Amino acid sequence: MPGNSFRKVYVIPCSGIGKMYGLLGREAVLKTVKELRPDKAATMCLALLVYGDDEARKEINGARCITVDGCPKLCAAKNVEQAGGVVVERVRAVDAFRNHRGVDAGTAAHLTAAGWQIADELAADLAGKVDRWYDASEEK
Amino acid sequence: MAAKYVILPCNGLDKEAGCLARELALKMAAAMDGEIICPVLYQTAPSRYASLLQEGNLIVIDGCATRCASRIAANNNLKISRKITMAEEAKKRDYNPGPDWRLGAGAAAFVEDVWRSWQPVFMEQGAGRASEENTGLFAGPVEYAIHRHDKFIFRVPLEGFYFNENDCWVQVEGNRGRVGISDYLQQNLSDITFVTPPDPGTEVEQFGEMGTIESAKAVYELVSPVTGRVVAINEAVLEAPELINENPYEKGWIAELELTNFEADREFLLDGRRYLEVLKEKVADFNAGK
Repeated sequence: MPGNSFRKVYVIPCSGIGKMYGLLGREAVLKTVKELRPDKAATMCLALLVYGDDEARKEINGARCITVDGCPKLCAAKNVEQAGGVVVERVRAVDAFRNHRGVDAGTAAHLTAAGWQIADELAADLAGKVDRWYDASEEK
Repeated sequence: MAAKYVILPCNGLDKEAGCLARELALKMAAAMDGEIICPVLYQTAPSRYASLLQEGNLIVIDGCATRCASRIAANNNLKISRKITMAEEAKKRDYNPGPDWRLGAGAAAFVEDVWRSWQPVFMEQGAGRASEENTGLFAGPVEYAIHRHDKFIFRVPLEGFYFNENDCWVQVEGNRGRVGISDYLQQNLSDITFVTPPDPGTEVEQFGEMGTIESAKAVYELVSPVTGRVVAINEAVLEAPELINENPYEKGWIAELELTNFEADREFLLDGRRYLEVLKEKVADFNAGK
């Protein structure tokens, strides 16, 4: 798997448990890697990296990664870097709300229709970032 | 009074089993007013959850066979009250989680069913504790027979205990029976790390499954020596599984049952003296096979 997916850009969200921003980031990442850019992007379960799974760490080591965090702890960005991933973009889910002030996006358990719309917008933004970094690696 | 629960679920990202774990965690937290621990944040900033973990009973929910949540709990020496593995729950219900992250058709009903099956366990957990007045009912063994082999010493209580050939015992008082594993089995398993007892209220058949014991060496399926309904579990061994290694016949008992068919069950059990002979044969066979 590392040989096949290494050139892909990894898009890794925080666990997305317990806060709406985390859930929104998680959904946006899944849409990006599974639907919008399945040929260029991959993801990885952050808990695997965090508890030190060797295979996961090998896979991420040296790879270009876009992290998506829900809260200011930046768990995804910090842990991916610690595991040897090259974090080329640090995205914060909260920034996706800049054009949606005051919108009820949902809860830690469920997004509202407005929340899904913001997640879709974030996913589109992530897809653009994936294109940029994937194409950059192609040019090398 | 319902106990307070703290739930440590799997990260639940890119496999359906993980997403199911996450869904169950959210459902449980809402229903029991429990707190969810973010597995990633816990690993990076454990102090954030220290007081929560001191106050509440910890439920670990694993998604897939990687069992990240259990590993994180083990790495941090957390005392687990209950472990739920969605892959196993799915197997019990013929539900096949897909390799991808999207929840399949029927996932919501599946999670609801898992929750319905566990809900009484958590609600009855307080009621299922061995009551104070009941602790005197089962006195410890009066006399042990000893079998020595090399540096190993195996103990077998001679009176009041009955064994099956799967090295599980029952101590009977009236229509109540306490069950556990023998000294021989605990030494074979070595350091016991987790005990998953049957849930209070479960009807158990003689020679039916009665939970599992997990050690560094193996996961062992307990085989019930008797038929009955589980009325209590030993909360102490959930918190300190090593009690079974220390004293499998007293502090290390696992569950208490209301016996429904003991006279018939007894025909298939060995008393202490007969079990001692079986134990000697097992030890001899084990060493001959080395």
